[in-house]
Amino acid sequence: MSTTIGPALHTSLLILELGLRKRESALLEMARRAHLRGAVREPELLHSLLVLSERIGGAVVGKGVAVADARSLTVVEPHVVVARSRRGIDWDAPDGEAVRLVLLVLSPPEIPPATHQQSIARATVLVRSARTRQKLLEAGDADEVESLLRELSP
Amino acid sequence: MSARDAVVQLHDLDLLIEELRTARPAGRQRSAVPDAVRLPAVQRARTQLIRQLERRWFSAYERARQRYGRGVTAVRDRVCQGCFITLPTAAAPAGDTLMVCESCGRILYWI
Repeated sequence: MSTTIGPALHTSLLILELGLRKRESALLEMARRAHLRGAVREPELLHSLLVLSERIGGAVVGKGVAVADARSLTVVEPHVVVARSRRGIDWDAPDGEAVRLVLLVLSPPEIPPATHQQSIARATVLVRSARTRQKLLEAGDADEVESLLRELSP
Repeated sequence: MSARDAVVQLHDLDLLIEELRTARPAGRQRSAVPDAVRLPAVQRARTQLIRQLERRWFSAYERARQRYGRGVTAVRDRVCQGCFITLPTAAAPAGDTLMVCESCGRILYWI
């Protein structure tokens, strides 16, 4: 099973405009999208884990980007769900910036912790550059976002 | 919360605990909150969850976890993914009812 961000991406896992302001709602919407794609079995159960993880400072947040993650029995295969929000999501970021780009890294329990951590690190590295973030935010459609992410994946 | 949901959450919290216990150099901590601070918070959540779970299910979960490292396993096409035994046709998931594999003792999660 591949651990790169590329193969885990699919246009149906891209939410071009997340019209929500709260991170809990944003995470639920992303879990539901992953469920529709067949990547997650029970989105509400996954959401409970994500919310708990967020309460204890789980996501890597900063510069308008959040990288959240979960390793759960409810996840079928490794996937990355990507969502954009033009209005921004209130994520309690240390830099005070609203989050406009969210990457949700999902792994099933069979994936070892180190491999899951590696996927998170890759996702974080990917959005570290200001130019990349800008490109992702300005991409016109899901195909463009997907090809950008594939192109940039290590 | 049903016993089934509680067991799934307990399993996922144990995965998170396992992850947080995997030593990482301080410079490679991924979140602004250090793992050393996050770990007790997850353990507290685990304790609260256990309080909601019937003793018999927690015992079954812990027994399997101690023995195999994980207390819950998936069932795919009626095959327990923990010990790969084919479950009897009578063993079908019924709503939120929990079941234990008669062969290995793991709690079953039907997918």
